[in-house]
Amino acid sequence: MNPLFLAAEGAAEHSDIIFVIPGINLPVTSAVTTMWGVMLLLFAIAFIGTRHLQIVPRRRSQALVEFIVDGLMSFLGTVIGKKRARQFLPILASFFLFILFSNYSGLLPGAGHVRGLRQPTSNWGVTAGLAGIVFTLVLFYGIKERGFSYFAHMFQPIYLAPLLVPLGLIEELVRPFALSLRLVANMFGGETVVLALLMAVPYFLPIIPMALEIIFGAIQAFIFTFLTAIYLSTAVEEAHH
Amino acid sequence: MTAAVAVAIFGAAASIAIAAAAIGSASAQGKAAAAAMDATWRQPEAANDVRTSMMLALVFMEALTLFVFALIFVLNGTVAGAAR
Repeated sequence: MNPLFLAAEGAAEHSDIIFVIPGINLPVTSAVTTMWGVMLLLFAIAFIGTRHLQIVPRRRSQALVEFIVDGLMSFLGTVIGKKRARQFLPILASFFLFILFSNYSGLLPGAGHVRGLRQPTSNWGVTAGLAGIVFTLVLFYGIKERGFSYFAHMFQPIYLAPLLVPLGLIEELVRPFALSLRLVANMFGGETVVLALLMAVPYFLPIIPMALEIIFGAIQAFIFTFLTAIYLSTAVEEAHH
Repeated sequence: MTAAVAVAIFGAAASIAIAAAAIGSASAQGKAAAAAMDATWRQPEAANDVRTSMMLALVFMEALTLFVFALIFVLNGTVAGAAR
């Protein structure tokens, strides 16, 4: 059995249904329970960090939350401008923290082998859901802030419209596809490399790609947030010609 | 053709496809990174802007190799199904 086949079969959705929510007949897999864990962790951090807020933080939890928000805010400010960064900070910070913790959940001992613990972002369904949210948000804010002039760039020289309209539509649809595939391929690729090395040399050598996973997990969370920020800001700003 | 042969041929083809895609991505990313380093060296105060745009460019190049990777997984299922 080659590692590629093993990994593909391990990743198959139906193989690890933990239980089915009755009534709506919704299967709950290990990826879903791991996401619940990530959500609980983030809720706990947010809840503990924002109790009894002080102007000068004296508690470590508030300082940690302020550090995260300030860091994201100042970075996004340099990319899409202060005003837009403030407007989109809640969704962008949520994406960043959720993807970061989901990526790192794959590094926990037993992830992928223990029932109920599996890296959610190495599952295309999860990242496709995230990219679907981005797609909807881009359309929503584009039309909300600019009306139907959001689609004006497809009709810019009107005689080229038959060519530009299909191209523009394809571009809109390819974005979420590429966004989700980039994240899932990186995470799944890392997992596969670790698995392949684990089969060749079971001791010590798999530590190297796992260490790289720490860097890649952060970079991919960052990239997803970054691209979402750019898509949102180009959707809401008027095109400058 | 037996299933084993089909899977073996598919494995070889997949390796070559990944390698070809990686060569293209790597040389393009190398050029982009080299240009970004040049720019940073010439104008150190613009380092942040250069880094941001370099990151964006690198991401799109990297995606091409990953598309091949994803394609191989899709085909992997098809080949495994057909070989059975």
